[in-house]
Amino acid sequence: MQRPFHPEGDPCHVYLVHPPGGVVGGDELRIDVQVDPGAHALITTPAATKFYRCDGRVSSQTQQLRAAGASLEWLPQENIFYRGGDVRTATRVHLDARSKFIGWEINCLGLPARGEPFDAGTLRLDLELWKDQGEMTAQMRDVPIFIDRLRLRGESPARGAQWGLAGQESVGTLLATPVTAAHVDLVRELLHGHLAAVSLVDGVLVLRALAPQAEAVRHLFIAAWRALRPGVIGREAVNPRIWAT
Amino acid sequence: MSRTPTRTRMRIPIRTADVALATQARTIAASVDNSSQLPSLQHLRLLHLASPALPIGGFHFSQGLEYAVDCGWVRDETSALDWIGGIAESSMATLDLPVLYRLHAAWKRNDYLDVQRWNAFLIASRETAELRAEDRHLGSALLRVLVEMQLTTELFGANPAKHPVGVAHATAFAFACANWQLDASAAAQTFAWAWTENQVLAAVKLVPLGQSAGQRLLHALIPRMAAYSARAADLLDADIGVCTALNAVASGRHEIQYTRLFRS
Repeated sequence: MQRPFHPEGDPCHVYLVHPPGGVVGGDELRIDVQVDPGAHALITTPAATKFYRCDGRVSSQTQQLRAAGASLEWLPQENIFYRGGDVRTATRVHLDARSKFIGWEINCLGLPARGEPFDAGTLRLDLELWKDQGEMTAQMRDVPIFIDRLRLRGESPARGAQWGLAGQESVGTLLATPVTAAHVDLVRELLHGHLAAVSLVDGVLVLRALAPQAEAVRHLFIAAWRALRPGVIGREAVNPRIWAT
Repeated sequence: MSRTPTRTRMRIPIRTADVALATQARTIAASVDNSSQLPSLQHLRLLHLASPALPIGGFHFSQGLEYAVDCGWVRDETSALDWIGGIAESSMATLDLPVLYRLHAAWKRNDYLDVQRWNAFLIASRETAELRAEDRHLGSALLRVLVEMQLTTELFGANPAKHPVGVAHATAFAFACANWQLDASAAAQTFAWAWTENQVLAAVKLVPLGQSAGQRLLHALIPRMAAYSARAADLLDADIGVCTALNAVASGRHEIQYTRLFRS
């Protein structure tokens, strides 16, 4: 991790630098982020995270993001899964009722630019958003609001099927909360020409996009983040400088 | 036991609850093959639960199929079979059915916290407003119908339609099956059948297909539903999930589709 800095005043920008050379079988990466009351963190990564072919061992990455009365922006570059990888990733966002969040995950199956599809291997990719509901339910305090668990084997017909990934190598999900229907309309205007859809589930905006390459998904998500940030976080969007390099 | 999963050797952090549930899944798997000798009363109960005449309004929902037809992804009998069978294999069989097994087991042992956990899990897994509204509608409507059959639960309050999390269809379905002593695998098969029949009827109406084509589709899908129901019993917690991204996109786009016959 690089030293946090403040290019736009109060919000703290953090660049997470992953181990060089990417992740291989047997590796276990764990990232815990806690944003305390009143704080505002924007976290991004300078490069894609690469998960290489595994030799029978699982490689895993677990990311716990917690915000209490705080603002959190989680804007990493994409995960790239090489052919033959056996990978488990889990990103769990835990928010209390007063927290604000915009975040995304972009997963790239294989190396489309090199003509290497993810036609062998296993992916288990979780993205979850939980909210502390306080008194709302008697027995469960932490309630899952959004759970996306992509389960894919390289040989599965789902990769090419029209109901599955339709041959798209890159699939991404952007989440934002708290939002209103007006925010959803704002994002929907950006979707022309994209294989994408936006919806509002229990106060969380869910934007799902597929594309032949990660770059198209990332550009769409950056546009959506720029459109959402003033309303959701209360600040105009300032692209992290590292995105320009 | 040949069903013992080999992937338990994965070196990933596993929560204690995962281990307990994996054990539970194996226990369920061991009891899977009793359904061939269902007593007639239980058999009839299952037919009742699967009946399209059950007033829960399942026929209002297409789960994205209406958009898929509108944009030409589904246009004939072959593409309808691919769409319905594919979603069954990569979503129904890997999310709804394994969670139904877990809900059935939780209701049977009166583990209400576990019922709520898996119920919330299912609701949270519906990634568009329409899919979520559909599941909540079917779940609370089924609970309301069950009241007429002297089957009531307090778990989701006096009015389950107003419960903050909501009741998933599978949660209410498992509740009925567990209370009527219906076998978990028979429950899963019946649930899968009801879903399939509803999807095929939606395809017949939307594509449109002839009634004969609809019957051919159902006949072709039945063996697959039997296989998926059995497979779902063995699925580990870590393998629960879906691979139907474009189905979700179809559902999301259906929300703004110009003319709609269906509510999802």
